[in-house]
Amino acid sequence: MTAARTEILSKLRRALAAGTPFPQAETVDTSRPVVPINPDENLLARFCSEVERVRGIIHLADSTDAALAALRSVLHSNDVTRTMCWDAPHLPFDGVTNLLATQGIEIIAGTNEVVETAQAGITGCDWAIAATGTLVLSSGPGRSRMASLLPPIHVALMRSSQLIPRLEDWVASRYADRLQQIRTSSNITFITGSSRTSDIEMQPVFGVHGPLQIHIVILKDV
Amino acid sequence: MNASNSFKSSVVVALDDIQLQTALDRGTTRAVNGRISAMGETSAAPELRAQARAARLRALNQLPELLDTLERNVTANGGAVLWARTGAEANDTILQICREHGVRRVTKGKSMVTEESGLNHVLEAHDIEINESDLGEYIIQLAHEPPSHIVFPMLHKTKEATAELLHEKLGMPMTDKPEDMTRFVRGVMRRKYIEADLGISGVNFAIAETGTIITVENEGNNRLSCSTPKIHIAVMGLEKVLATWHDWTTLAQLLPRSATGQRMTVYTNLMSGPKREHEPDGPEKFYLLILDNGRSDMLAGEFAESLACIRCGACLNVCPVYQNIGGHAYGWVYPGPIGSIVSPLLQGIQKAPSLPYASSLCGACQAACPVDIAIPDMLLKLRRDLVKVHDPASASLPWRIGMRAWRIGMRSPLLYRIGGKLAAVGTRLLARNGKITRLPGILGGWTKSRDFPAFPAESFRERLAQKKKRVESQSRESE
Ligand code: SF4
Repeated sequence: MTAARTEILSKLRRALAAGTPFPQAETVDTSRPVVPINPDENLLARFCSEVERVRGIIHLADSTDAALAALRSVLHSNDVTRTMCWDAPHLPFDGVTNLLATQGIEIIAGTNEVVETAQAGITGCDWAIAATGTLVLSSGPGRSRMASLLPPIHVALMRSSQLIPRLEDWVASRYADRLQQIRTSSNITFITGSSRTSDIEMQPVFGVHGPLQIHIVILKDV
Repeated sequence: MNASNSFKSSVVVALDDIQLQTALDRGTTRAVNGRISAMGETSAAPELRAQARAARLRALNQLPELLDTLERNVTANGGAVLWARTGAEANDTILQICREHGVRRVTKGKSMVTEESGLNHVLEAHDIEINESDLGEYIIQLAHEPPSHIVFPMLHKTKEATAELLHEKLGMPMTDKPEDMTRFVRGVMRRKYIEADLGISGVNFAIAETGTIITVENEGNNRLSCSTPKIHIAVMGLEKVLATWHDWTTLAQLLPRSATGQRMTVYTNLMSGPKREHEPDGPEKFYLLILDNGRSDMLAGEFAESLACIRCGACLNVCPVYQNIGGHAYGWVYPGPIGSIVSPLLQGIQKAPSLPYASSLCGACQAACPVDIAIPDMLLKLRRDLVKVHDPASASLPWRIGMRAWRIGMRSPLLYRIGGKLAAVGTRLLARNGKITRLPGILGGWTKSRDFPAFPAESFRERLAQKKKRVESQSRESE
């Protein structure tokens, strides 16, 4: 193994010994991709329309009560009795655990065999990217990565203040913080719409191995 | 049969395969349109491509340092880095991990490098069940076929053939709806994720500065393969590394747009080591396997630029040759224009001597390539190399005489003109509708795989002379 490592690296070094093969590349600025965006665009409106384009379902709420009601109606209309759910401190508003308890909806955790029976996964998110309708979810204590993946329905909860314009804003603003976060979470997932495939004759089909439905409940706080 | 004849005969078979032609036609048209509309929406596409190219080439400039940094950071995250010089060494390493942990069942997300190494066969030979988890990969695994496209592995299959296969092998009720087939396979695959002991994935990018690997996908199969099993092995070609997250944000804009016409794929998955102590789920062990398999040799020469490829498949979709023959005729893992470069380079040029010629050099590939790789240029260089390794003395006598005559003719304007006249008369005698489908005698080799156009009655020189006369007489009149 170390022999392989040594040999590969020394071959690469030898290959580059003659000099930098692509000196012209060193002068190009790649710190921000040039993808123009309209600065006056309303982030919330853009986010919602992008999510709908990729078959996500948006629920807008003006108050915590309205947001909880939206969550309840998603769960009820799908006859959900078992969920995977992020711990309360990682959700964007209070009352979720309470709601589930009063509705008799179980929160389950444990082995693959156990969590496989969950009918819905409830998560928060770190950020939401307006330009592409993307949610950013980092793993951590109380933040299951499977909750947004294994159950057939994913309900993501967020506040509108979590919106950022573009992917590159997630990286470029506060670069050092971002690096720290990437190192701390074993997994950060960007989710854009419901799982899909185009494998059969390149015809889009929604709902493959990931969730069949994704609901995003947005509490308007700005 | 030698390697070059086998390419030609595969082409003939492919061109006559009506099912394949239907599938190719439906598939590539959709892919090309998707990319064009997604790229068109960024009015800054040329600048963006220049940035993406720079990010990739800069990584190649400092490949050994970046791999070293990557290794250090993966280790700091709690993962382990393994190195393999060849595909066989990579397979052995994976097999050893399987033995160590008593692995019986494996699910695999899409990974071209493990196609290179033929991992599936090796694991199966050791009684380890391995399931492709990408819908397309799973279906062709059922059919015992290799992928025919680097992004759309079952591009060669129509939905009708897919339905029949699923019906026959797994008892799916017959349907012509891709939705129903997809839902059916979802059901089958669920158990496999739950029961797998090991998940194997590819790597789209690896970011050196944090020791993170990134995969992009739409189905969720790769996320599942990297989340449900206790062990995750990510396998990467050593060229996949990027220096910084800034570089990634540039490439992240281009890969999905070029590959599938999406702005973002459904899932972009950043993985930095195994699950942390208090995280509720995720793999307990994380290995990153870095594979060379001929790449370090490529970095040294004039084909280094092809290592910048991000495997988006855009060059395949636009290629008139690929559009007509599909992926299997290329004979190895990487088809299409970029495959015609990397297959001969990774396997040895003797193994794929026809591929550099499987191009009309129209340039559509480079124009579509998000990192602007000079594919036609490199194909020409490979042809040059092929001619060099081909000992001229071993060429047949008629070939040598022909080339000698050609050289003499091309050097003398008089002989050139006479030759042209003779050819014009001769070819028109043989042609039907301006095309010759069969040249006589030893010239017949040419028309075995393509038509020869008849020469026009009037040569370019004659037309030019006529035109000159006309212009002169016109200008005299206007005076
Ligand atoms: S050569 Fe360019 S277009 Fe072709 S797969 Fe690679 S990156 Fe994509």
